[in-house]
Amino acid sequence: MGTDRYAYQSRLRRVSPLPKLLLTVVAMVVCLCCDSVAVGLATLVGMGVLITAMGGLSPRVLFRFLKIPLVFLVVGCLTILVGSYPAGTEVIAAIPVGNALWGFTAADLWLGGRIFCKALGAIGCMYFLALNTPVTDLTMALRTLHVPPLMVELMELIYRFIFVLSETAANIRIAQDSRLGYQGFRRTLSSLGTLASMVFLRAWRRADRIYTALESRGYTGSLTTLHDQYRSGWWLLPLTALVAVVQVGVYWLERMALG
Amino acid sequence: MKTTSTRAIQAMALVIALLGLTTMNASAMHIAEGMLPVGWAIGWGAVSVPFVVAGFFAIKKKIEQAPRAKILLAMCGAFAFVLSALKIPSVSGSCSHPTGVGLGAILFGPLVMSVLGLIVLLFQALLLAHGGLTTLGANVFSMAIAGPILSWLVYQLLRKAKAPAAVAVFAAAALGDLFTYVVTSVQLGVINGGMIKFLTIFAVTQIPLAIAEGLLTVVIFNVLEKYSKSELHQLAVL
Repeated sequence: MGTDRYAYQSRLRRVSPLPKLLLTVVAMVVCLCCDSVAVGLATLVGMGVLITAMGGLSPRVLFRFLKIPLVFLVVGCLTILVGSYPAGTEVIAAIPVGNALWGFTAADLWLGGRIFCKALGAIGCMYFLALNTPVTDLTMALRTLHVPPLMVELMELIYRFIFVLSETAANIRIAQDSRLGYQGFRRTLSSLGTLASMVFLRAWRRADRIYTALESRGYTGSLTTLHDQYRSGWWLLPLTALVAVVQVGVYWLERMALG
Repeated sequence: MKTTSTRAIQAMALVIALLGLTTMNASAMHIAEGMLPVGWAIGWGAVSVPFVVAGFFAIKKKIEQAPRAKILLAMCGAFAFVLSALKIPSVSGSCSHPTGVGLGAILFGPLVMSVLGLIVLLFQALLLAHGGLTTLGANVFSMAIAGPILSWLVYQLLRKAKAPAAVAVFAAAALGDLFTYVVTSVQLGVINGGMIKFLTIFAVTQIPLAIAEGLLTVVIFNVLEKYSKSELHQLAVL
């Protein structure tokens, strides 16, 4: 499912999750705080290099993943960009609508570009975590960070059940497709409704069975698992510092270049 | 003269590109990673925390009374994730994903929804890159707190007023969906202004979607009512 498949193949997968989490958070916070075009782009490039060079992901796959949030970003940023101005304002591009001009000015372009690049940097940081750390390792890390055990357990269970249920949903979908489901708007809605409710029903029944199975194996209220053996990842700490220093350096360079 | 006409053409091309984008992916409900400034990201997170904590203790109490509830709730969370990954047709011909806001709120109540929503949104951010880690607080507030609370209120009110179940479910799901997008627009709009812009851009795509999701929720609810009355009774929604 999504990034998870690649996270399991990553060369950093066996590295302890906490340092990876730390690197992600530090880089992300610095990137957001700087709020600049250059830092955003530098963060994206830096994270891209870390993901491909250290994690061993092929750049093509990384580009494919980067395209997903891009649509959300472009819609959001264009909405910020385009606005209405009274006639005669200095605009870069605009169409006259009635008495006003709909378009964007240089300041708008700058603002939109800054948000866009900043978000790209943050997305790079998120992918560093998502493409190198499977969710099971992440929940392990949350456990050591003293997130309430019930919350972590719910996360682990939900994560496991997502795969079970999406397989069920995919099977039902094939069955419906082969019986002339999803033809036209009306039929699509009814097929989809049947699918969703059947998945819910099966989820419910399966939960019942899982609970029975657990109880017959001595379940007393908590699912305890053993810690995975990780390679120590504290060598990532100097790297984290280096990333932050480079980000701040780029920030100063940009400030100096812009005066 | 020539420059104005080229500018007009440029702007026209931009608008066409923009329209193309909105039909391509109408479900811009999630605020993408990094769109919010630090202050706002922390602020929305802080606003969401009390709701999530209240939901957490509600779940804890439920599980202490009936240990089976833990597995059931986890299944419900996974169901919410799978539901949001389905493609739903919209009237305008585009495709999008249902939010499940209305269905979740009716089935599980708004308190439980806040916790399940948090987990589901986190997984959506990590696994599918929908939403993000820094915008998690804002997304949780719009999709797992504000939307479900409204849906739940609408559903309860209409049921009290003896409205037919189908009407109540449709209204709850459609209005919850719309309210979620209003909250998202406000969240994006308050930062740099232009709330109206966000509202109009999303209104074009979200009103048909809200109707489609309302209809879908009614269909789901009808089937559930037919085949799993006992389960629904356990959830105490009927």
